[in-house]
Amino acid sequence: MKIKENPTRLDIEGTWRGIRMMLPLAVFTIAFGLAFGVAAVHQGLAGWEAMLMSLFVFAAPSQFAALEMWHSPLPLLALAAVTLAIHTRHMLMSAALYPWLKALPQRQQFAMVILLTDSNWAMALGEYQRGERNLGILLGGGIALWGAWVVGTAVGLAFGGGITEPERFGLDVIMLCFLLMIVVGGNPRAAMALPWLAAAASALMAYWWLPPYLHVMVGAITGGVVAVLLPGRWLRESAS
Amino acid sequence: MIPSPVWQSLIAITLMVVIAYGSRVLGLMVMSHVPLSPRVRRFVDAMSSSVLIAVITPIIVHGDGGVRLAAIAAGTVAVVFRSPLVSIAMGMLCAAGWRWWVG
Repeated sequence: MKIKENPTRLDIEGTWRGIRMMLPLAVFTIAFGLAFGVAAVHQGLAGWEAMLMSLFVFAAPSQFAALEMWHSPLPLLALAAVTLAIHTRHMLMSAALYPWLKALPQRQQFAMVILLTDSNWAMALGEYQRGERNLGILLGGGIALWGAWVVGTAVGLAFGGGITEPERFGLDVIMLCFLLMIVVGGNPRAAMALPWLAAAASALMAYWWLPPYLHVMVGAITGGVVAVLLPGRWLRESAS
Repeated sequence: MIPSPVWQSLIAITLMVVIAYGSRVLGLMVMSHVPLSPRVRRFVDAMSSSVLIAVITPIIVHGDGGVRLAAIAAGTVAVVFRSPLVSIAMGMLCAAGWRWWVG
């Protein structure tokens, strides 16, 4: 047990530690990036489009979801709405880090969350709860994941075009499995069963009977509303 | 497929970047003024996972046997073993296997 609270720090040593701690997971992230690159090629994206996304958006779920909607003319409004819905999660994540970040000047706070993503957030928050105060953990973890994601995308783009029948190798289900894994693997809770069922059912009906892409918004909002309507004790402390 | 015009792609990617980074910063800005109420947290938390459910449900329902088998396999592995890459690998393996043997 730590008795004395260490002050918030941010230095090269901590950043290196963050990078090294994240390396095992970064290997997997290369594979995800590769999967994204391959999927992007087969969805008809230009290499630079996929690369720009990986460089600057740096968020696998929204990039995969965007692939699904990448038909000309691009449904910009729907794309923005879906990205927004997916990223509300990051809002909660950076909010959870606020107690740690608030010691920094605001400009540095904003810079620290550029590379914030699910894995380095989870790792950094775990370390924070164990008494770590060096923000380099968060930054270094982000750097490792970002590098891996970009390298993976590049490799996937380079070799993805060589595969002529992606279905034979199951490459078309990568996106589906990835999104599914994010949902159920992250934090399966019995209390979420009802909101998720409602989201699935309403999305399916909207998919059949409403204009294209609306089903994503319908499902997202239904799931959120059902979760709020449930008795509070079912879902206590649901947001981490 | 006709590739989308360059300007459209650029707008789309810019939109995504702004939203992706904006939401990360917004969490900090909101927290520095008011702590989020549990109700809002619950809504946002449920919404951000429901949106992914909404994306994948029609894909599974309208997919072939390989897609459905992949979804079951990947979901089960993700819950039981909590290993992301094994989950995806199993999904791909099941889809490829189904199409190899069943057609």
